[in-house]
Amino acid sequence: MALEVDTSKKAAFEQALEALETAFSYAKNMYQTDVYQTAARIMNEKDGMKFLYKYASRFDEAGIFEGRPWAEPSKLQPRLVKGSLMAGGMTSIVEVLSELRMVAIAKGNHTHEKVSKKDANEFLNKVMALNIDILFPEETEAARIEGKRKEKDRAEHLFQLLADELSLASISGTLIKEIDELVAQRPIMVDRIITMIKNAKQLLNVDINTKEQKAIKQYLDAITGPSRISKELTDLSDYRNKLKELDEKVLKEEAKAFAKSMLKTGLVAPQHVTLVRFLNVNKPKLLTEALGLNKKGEANLEEHFSIVSNLIKVAIHPPMRQSLYGLACMLERGVLSSNPVIPGLQRLIELDLLPEVRKVLLNSIKKGNEGITANDIMLAGVISVFGQPLGVGQGMNPTCQTARGISLWSLHDLGYLLELVARAARDGDIDIMFEGQPIHSMNLRDGLVDNLHEELDPVSLILVPHLDRIYGELVRRAEFRGDDVHKWVNPAFYGDWVSRGFSSTIDPLTGAIADYSGFVRLFYATHHPEYNNGHQIIYPNPVGIFVTDSLADLLGLHAVSIQRVDRDPDGKYRVYFYNPNNDSSQNWGQGIQPAVKGHGEEPGESSLPFHEFVSRLYAFHYNPYEQGDAYAVDNETVQEIEKIARNSWGQKYTWVDL
Amino acid sequence: MPYQSSLNDHQFKVNHQRDRKAIENKRTGPIRLNHQKPEHGKKIALIGWNVSSIEAMEKLNRPFVIVSLPGFEDYAKQHNIPFVGWDFDTKLTYKQVYDRSKELYQTLKEFQCDHAIPAFEETVEWAGALNAYFRNDPKIFDHSILFRDKAMMKRRAHIGGLKVGVFEEVDNKEEVRRFFRRVNDMLLRSRDNNHDPIHVKALNKAGAAGHRMIRSEDDIDKKLSEDNFPCLIESHLDGVEISCEAFIFKGEVKFLNITEYVVFGYSMMVPPIPEIEKYRPLVRKEVEKLVDAFDIKYGIIHPEFFIADDEHLYFGEVAYRIPGGHIFELMQKSYNFNPFEAHILCCDPNTEEEELDKIFPDETSAKGYAGSFLVYPKKKYITDVNIPKELEEHPCFEKHTLFQPAVNKVQDLEGYGNHLGTIFFYGDDSEQVHQQLMNYVDHDFYV
Repeated sequence: MALEVDTSKKAAFEQALEALETAFSYAKNMYQTDVYQTAARIMNEKDGMKFLYKYASRFDEAGIFEGRPWAEPSKLQPRLVKGSLMAGGMTSIVEVLSELRMVAIAKGNHTHEKVSKKDANEFLNKVMALNIDILFPEETEAARIEGKRKEKDRAEHLFQLLADELSLASISGTLIKEIDELVAQRPIMVDRIITMIKNAKQLLNVDINTKEQKAIKQYLDAITGPSRISKELTDLSDYRNKLKELDEKVLKEEAKAFAKSMLKTGLVAPQHVTLVRFLNVNKPKLLTEALGLNKKGEANLEEHFSIVSNLIKVAIHPPMRQSLYGLACMLERGVLSSNPVIPGLQRLIELDLLPEVRKVLLNSIKKGNEGITANDIMLAGVISVFGQPLGVGQGMNPTCQTARGISLWSLHDLGYLLELVARAARDGDIDIMFEGQPIHSMNLRDGLVDNLHEELDPVSLILVPHLDRIYGELVRRAEFRGDDVHKWVNPAFYGDWVSRGFSSTIDPLTGAIADYSGFVRLFYATHHPEYNNGHQIIYPNPVGIFVTDSLADLLGLHAVSIQRVDRDPDGKYRVYFYNPNNDSSQNWGQGIQPAVKGHGEEPGESSLPFHEFVSRLYAFHYNPYEQGDAYAVDNETVQEIEKIARNSWGQKYTWVDL
Repeated sequence: MPYQSSLNDHQFKVNHQRDRKAIENKRTGPIRLNHQKPEHGKKIALIGWNVSSIEAMEKLNRPFVIVSLPGFEDYAKQHNIPFVGWDFDTKLTYKQVYDRSKELYQTLKEFQCDHAIPAFEETVEWAGALNAYFRNDPKIFDHSILFRDKAMMKRRAHIGGLKVGVFEEVDNKEEVRRFFRRVNDMLLRSRDNNHDPIHVKALNKAGAAGHRMIRSEDDIDKKLSEDNFPCLIESHLDGVEISCEAFIFKGEVKFLNITEYVVFGYSMMVPPIPEIEKYRPLVRKEVEKLVDAFDIKYGIIHPEFFIADDEHLYFGEVAYRIPGGHIFELMQKSYNFNPFEAHILCCDPNTEEEELDKIFPDETSAKGYAGSFLVYPKKKYITDVNIPKELEEHPCFEKHTLFQPAVNKVQDLEGYGNHLGTIFFYGDDSEQVHQQLMNYVDHDFYV
């Protein structure tokens, strides 16, 4: 087959590739750019990608990626592909070449010692699933005006090749699984999920099986209108006018359909909000149905009807529609019965907000604010957090500790959380005591985050800048004490329910791994029901873990909270934990992959078999008075865990026996 | 007292005659060096890390050792490059360099080295010192300083019969002022304030680093500070500026490349436009004069000349190293040979003539015109690359090396500083390439 590519450009590329192939290893760098540029010129041609793909099996050997982030394909992340493709310059070009190499591996034209055919297929499926908008580009004026035309064209050419070489049918499964897992965690922020669902719509035109078609349709309905009437009337004012004509029976049907979809997916359709606001004024009795409440929720609604009704008026609006789900969950949790909650919420309705807080909150609503105030948004945010304590996420910020705090307080100290929100939003200050000395956030400058990425829930938007600085200050004050700072920082930061007992496997003075087996035994003796005399975890335990990539190589330290330790439906002990990064699909290598559903997880929990979790743990708190028998733990179990640890993150550390 | 004076007169004559006799039997002028050959089969030490040169040595099968900063050691080990780590302290005086080199010389001797080649301006004196030890002749070191100290360089050129500007070494602003006045007095330009500029140059820096143009006495106070001294000042030379790359073997110019400085500091072209190329015989004569004046037997020199309106060539300066600005790459493109290999061959006195004959093309028949445009950041912080579409689509556009910056903050620059990337052009039509090399001086390639 003759490919339509300019012959002089072909020759230039072939020449550049050959020059790179024959170059000495230390000189590859000098010849790489020629390959990139000659390749870039071909990419813009009609059959350019196909032409380049013919050479893809030679790329690794030639050294196209040597000394660059793409050198080790097993370390590449499907999630980062789009960013690189759109980055422009050489980055985009090398990214394209890297994908072509991956196709060559997936098709068996090239073998790589660390990436199997299957791995490559999975990688590419994920890349396609995550970038369906590139696979099926919309020919809108907006897309054209947005700029980056060159990069977009190139990416589209690449994805055309991916679609030709691989099967589209297989990506729908990947995408649906991805959405399923995100949805299972019931995050407060659902932007990413909604984008994925909208993208999945494109797959309905492709030949995929009916089960998958149904799944995609269900998600689409959940965000656009799952009930009979809302399916037809997507315009909110049309829908609202229609409601006035409906009799109670039809209204009830609508209410049930919405509630069913919301409970199933955690996603709220805009018309659902319209319906709830309508019912709140005209048919309050149907609210129970519209929110899909269980008995406990229903009782709470009845008991606190006037405040709930007010909350709906103030905080439940189409732009913040997800808070409707939060409201339902909040009622089922029964938090309104806790004394400080109602006055705390009422205070927020009329709180004087600082101009900068007002601004950041109003900015968080993307489309026209329809007369919504910053207070409304703040309240909606509080409702979400109260309803979905494990749905709090750190977003794109390195603030896992802070997210963990907000989650913990919304579980166990709602009054305190309300106090923090009011202080930060009105006074621009939060203060805490540390060993007898007050620390005010307003007096502090730097925290962990420089520029807060603002795709966050309203409560986080208000609190993270303050909490982050306080956390940083606590770390500064606790440094150089000869032990891990979290021993002192965590109880001060999160509150007194964090146990004072503390154990870290990293020796603070040498940075080496010391007495690892003792560390493992202590964790079993304090956390495993079979060894700790049956003590349950009452408050979440903030622990530190080693995060590893899919090759089990250490990526860094991360903060999660152990929510509970329990038997899963198969009777095996698992650690159920809250991971503030809301990222379900992390693969930690060695077959260790946290699950978010299917093993008895509550929404928002991740879980791992007990010993697998321990193998990634580096520090935890414990109650010294609830310690069981460390010696009783099987030697074999401890050795097995140590083996897993040493073969993963442990390679980056020195191990010493005390 | 007529008698007395006539006696004095007589005394002078006697003395003078004696002096003349004394030097009659002595050879004056530059001392010629004895360029002993290094031993066959011994290794060459390349002083400075230059991948192209390393590659050239390997392709030529020359046994070699690289001497460079210890920071390169791991990389060298990883790629099996014979390596000696050495910290070149740029603050040392020449004497200190000579003394310190002894230790390096001993290390290199253990590595079976017998000859040193500099890769960069700053390693010229180190290579000179090492060769002085290798040949056991300190004057070889002094010879290398001729290519580093700009005042020594100009004196040597002057005495060798090249045309140079008027120059002085100065220590303070007052001396600059005096020189400025004297030069302008002599040019009859003082009376109506129609001054000719003078140039202030660092004594031993590459390229335009430390260069200031003084156009008035006010400039002396405004543009100069204590840090500039001591330095060299010289009268202005007018004309088209070119550089040459002369490959010398046994004192003979084997290949002469002429590079046109299209926009000074920004762009250059190989070979130059025909209007300049026609001066090649003249340039060659001048370069040969230079080779003779500087007593150069092996290696390459990179002199800069001004071609004045009267078709005379004025000597600017000369370096004994690989030129900057990607000139070698341009030569490679337009003449189709590997100048890095040619450099090594010319530096090694043991090279066979046949090897040389094989490598050099005819210097008067280039295949096309190759140009490079150096891109400097125009602001302190940069985030993205902005290349005009019409530049990339121009038939003469060849490639560029502008990448998204990994570090956004631009380092402080001296002279023209380090460029962040280069745009290469190539074409058959000298005018088209020439035009492209001038078009983008004001364009900001980084945003």
